[in-house]
Amino acid sequence: MSREALQESLSAVMDNEADELELRRVLNACDDVETRETWARYQIARAVMHKDLLLPRLDIAAAVSAALADEAVPVKVSRGPWRSLGRLAVAASVTLAVLAGVRLYNQDEIAGVELAQQSSQQSLVAPQVKGPAVLAGYNESSDATGPMANGVLQGQPGWHDQRLPGYLRQHAQQAALKGTESALPYARAASLENR
Amino acid sequence: MRAIPLLTLLLGGWFVVPAHADEAQDWLTRLGQAEQQQSFQGTFVYERNGSFSTHNIWHRVQEGKVHERLLQLDGSAQEVVRVDGHTQCVSGTLIAGLGDTPNSAARVIDPQKLKNWYDLAVIGKSRVAGRSAVIVSLTPRDQHRYGFELHLDKETGLPLKSLLLNDKGQLLERFQFTRLDTATVPSESDLQPGADCKAVNLESDKSSAVKAAQTWHSDWLPPGFELTSSSARKDPETKTQVSSLMYDDGLARFSVFLEPLNGAVVTDTRIQLGPTVAVSRRLTTAQGEMMVTVVGEIPIGTAERIALSMRADAATTKQ
Repeated sequence: MSREALQESLSAVMDNEADELELRRVLNACDDVETRETWARYQIARAVMHKDLLLPRLDIAAAVSAALADEAVPVKVSRGPWRSLGRLAVAASVTLAVLAGVRLYNQDEIAGVELAQQSSQQSLVAPQVKGPAVLAGYNESSDATGPMANGVLQGQPGWHDQRLPGYLRQHAQQAALKGTESALPYARAASLENR
Repeated sequence: MRAIPLLTLLLGGWFVVPAHADEAQDWLTRLGQAEQQQSFQGTFVYERNGSFSTHNIWHRVQEGKVHERLLQLDGSAQEVVRVDGHTQCVSGTLIAGLGDTPNSAARVIDPQKLKNWYDLAVIGKSRVAGRSAVIVSLTPRDQHRYGFELHLDKETGLPLKSLLLNDKGQLLERFQFTRLDTATVPSESDLQPGADCKAVNLESDKSSAVKAAQTWHSDWLPPGFELTSSSARKDPETKTQVSSLMYDDGLARFSVFLEPLNGAVVTDTRIQLGPTVAVSRRLTTAQGEMMVTVVGEIPIGTAERIALSMRADAATTKQ
């Protein structure tokens, strides 16, 4: 590899514009003293140009290498079969706990939805047909209803039971009277009355 | 030379897109005219989350007068007879909540206005009730309204099918003709109300409707929605005065009901019933606690925001 190409790559790395290949080239050449000196010179030039603080001859890489060389290699611990079995047991119990939790959580949610549906059946003139079959090819939007109606449960259902059907009816009928697409609001109003 | 294909593409796009939009606009204009000019009779189904019903419709345009009779075919015989948009009689339960303001003439669909809030496009062809149809989609430009997919009769422009879709593309309601006859004009006997159809006395309604509820306004409204009617009436059962305001953007509608709580402890509520949402929120005013209820065919988040934005007009709070 030519010296110029390497220096170009060095410069690119310094400017944070090196591609993968250049970065590898520089890293490979890093052990070479001459390359490191070039690198150091570039840094000085850069620091001067940017008026940066400069600590000359600070070679962190060399220091880190030396420290690593002195480090004692940790002794490899031999593991008995019981140890891995223990790990397996922990993993299994965590899985179980997660599954149980999810199940409980879901049950909670399902119960909530059911309650909400019941309550909306009481409070509103909810229709008897509750099958998903009618909307073939479309997502049933009933699930969107469930959690939203929770407020009914917490409050006094009486007030809303009295008012909401009337409000819904009044809205639908006023809409029918103003309707441009006359039959549609009428059908909405009529569908509220189907018990 | 690369510019040439690009230029063609740009110019092509320039010509194609408005053409589609214009086409959609023309179809909507035809739809508006069709209901004022075309006599027809037919059967349609209406379906929303958990409810399915079938209805007959007779629609006669004669000497500029529009006679219309609607009758539910399954379950209870819900019936409405209208002349020029004015309700003549309704059956059974339909009458209960009727707070009709007498000047409520039907408004004609205005594609020019709708264009500001919906993207109009002809998206294809279909066949409904044995007739060929054009599919016009109205896609909302913001998250404050639902999208419509209208299948309009190629021959007359009448809506053969209408789907309401939320932002996830889920179907909220379906209105669809199963039979439509535009050749036979409904006879006088077809338009005669049934025995259970009770006449609506608009005069008595007018007197029970107190002064219009202009003491309320909303700090925030979804863009394009305008107040189309407001009234205040005494609920015969609870003896409380309920103000109601109705807003629309030319297609979607919502009502706001305001009722004094008189010390009742009530929690906030949210309910979705197919396309219609109802959101109740408490509001503390100078006159005491009020319950604000927003009902309409709008997304629940929008209804919530409207409910939270209702204010009593400062000048009239002392009444």
